[in-house]
Amino acid sequence: MKILIIEDEQALLDSILTYFTEEGNVCEYATNYRTASEKIALYSYDCILLDLGLPDGEGLNLLGELKSLKKKDGVLIISARHSLDDKLAGLDLGADDYLVKPFHLSELKARVSAIVRRKNFDGNNVIVFNEINVDVFAMQTTVNGQLVTLTRKEFDLLVYFLSNKGKVVTKNAMAEHLWGDEMDIANDFDFIYTHIKNLRKKLMEAGGKDYLHSVYGIGYKFGAA
Amino acid sequence: MKLSSRYNQVNILTSLVVLIITGVIYYVVIHFILTEKLDKDLAVEENEINQYVKTYQKLPLPASYIDQQVHYKDAGNNNEPREFSYTTYYNAKEQEVEPGRSLITTVNLNGKKYIVTITKSRVESEDLVRIILFITLGITCFLLISLILINRFVLNRLWKPFYTLLNQMKTYEVSRMGKINREPTKIDEFNELNDSAIAMAARVQQDYKELKSFTDNASHEMMTPLAVINSKLDSLLQTESFTKQQGALLEDIYQGVGRLSRLNQSLLLLAKIENNLIPDLQDIDMKELLESKIRQFQELFEKDELQLIKQLDACQLKMSRYLADILMNNLFSNAVRHNHTGGTIEIILQKNSLQLINTGKDVGLNDQLFERFSKSAPSEGLGLGLAISKQICALYGFTIAYAYHNEKHSFTIHF
Repeated sequence: MKILIIEDEQALLDSILTYFTEEGNVCEYATNYRTASEKIALYSYDCILLDLGLPDGEGLNLLGELKSLKKKDGVLIISARHSLDDKLAGLDLGADDYLVKPFHLSELKARVSAIVRRKNFDGNNVIVFNEINVDVFAMQTTVNGQLVTLTRKEFDLLVYFLSNKGKVVTKNAMAEHLWGDEMDIANDFDFIYTHIKNLRKKLMEAGGKDYLHSVYGIGYKFGAA
Repeated sequence: MKLSSRYNQVNILTSLVVLIITGVIYYVVIHFILTEKLDKDLAVEENEINQYVKTYQKLPLPASYIDQQVHYKDAGNNNEPREFSYTTYYNAKEQEVEPGRSLITTVNLNGKKYIVTITKSRVESEDLVRIILFITLGITCFLLISLILINRFVLNRLWKPFYTLLNQMKTYEVSRMGKINREPTKIDEFNELNDSAIAMAARVQQDYKELKSFTDNASHEMMTPLAVINSKLDSLLQTESFTKQQGALLEDIYQGVGRLSRLNQSLLLLAKIENNLIPDLQDIDMKELLESKIRQFQELFEKDELQLIKQLDACQLKMSRYLADILMNNLFSNAVRHNHTGGTIEIILQKNSLQLINTGKDVGLNDQLFERFSKSAPSEGLGLGLAISKQICALYGFTIAYAYHNEKHSFTIHF
């Protein structure tokens, strides 16, 4: 997929670029409004990561530009502003999602993947990973064509892992993804472990390979060994 | 005591004393003047008698004039001194005894001494004095009454701008960005007070705004470096060549960063609630919300083997869904976090109150638990949850109270 990252904080930009750059992905970036505006006009992207506070302009205005260009690029706003107004304004102006800083890169990736899936497949939301087949829209998982019944949380976890395949995902990030960061249950990741254990068991019982690996006790990695 | 009534008191008391003293002085002086005049008349009469005796060598007839009586008496060898005195006067016409003034003097007639007593009625001068006294008293009463009336009505009206302003200042709340209105008055002092109050309110508001925006900006500015740290940690984790020990270090850093960003978000949220920046009012079905929260927390309950007792009646509230969510999250997390394994949580929702009762590790807590950063030592929370809950309640005029009964903690919100 082709992604444009508009972010003025160089260090954060580097991290995102590194995390997103993998086979099949093309990442471009802009560190100010002017460059971003030019790139948006010249090219089309599957998803644009948009930071609202740019040194030479208000990020929200780029949404207006996109609209007037009649572009269908997906837009994910990443902002330090945890304000409902900004969020609603952004979504009203055509953004697809809103993520508040600081965020986990895995969460960012999952959200971007979700946007890209929605944009590209228009209802046919199927993620395929080797023998695993996940229909996000119908919430159905099959392994080797055999239906696997997952709980809501296990399903969410699986989609999350598939969006971040090959990456180490922290328990912290998973907890926030599953329960939301407002639930304030940090430091208590026992249940993550339970859900992962169950997910892994169900996938393997259906004939899947063991793709879930624990990493240093911090998190998990989904991928072929 | 109000200034006006104190002023009234002093005013009326002083007026009364001054008027009484003036009255007394008035009475005495007039009395003195009138007696002087009577005495002068009596002296004139004496003079006439003397002239008469000198001219005709005989005593005039002890004639009784109106208002005046003359008596003669043989003095013998007594030498009476000449003197004025207060006596009585018999008014034959009216047949009554009136107060009088007498002059006793002696005349020499052919070498013989006679005592002459001239008496004049004092009734007229007494009447005059009495009239003057009544007039004075009347004026005193009239003055006092008008003073009281002036104080009551005019002063009250005069002070009205002051009290209006005072009320405005009493109800003034800087967080609500209220305004103090100008109270039209012609009194310079009140105008000055009004201006000062308005200027002060503006200044306080400005300071408050600056302080708020500082908190706001500081928190926002902190978000970016936090985002950098977080993303760098995520990136670092992908490089994958850590020992178990390094992994544990990383985990601790993650915890710290996570905590810091939650803390930051909580402070921002508090500032926002205080500034009433979350309008988004809507009807909330509390029963539905609570049921969804119970589902959301189900796993947490199960993990700690908590027994849930719920009694949910229908309840509708008008508030922000976002804040309602946070409020419930805070209360639920507290009830779980401070519970012990195998404890209970009771949730009682009534038409205008919500009660959460949970067994707990700690003994009763003090009222400071709603303060920011107040938390029990072993707590893993931020110490902001209840402060936020209280702010949310305050925003919508709810009251939240804590109680400790039968080794159970209970939080009650009255809507």
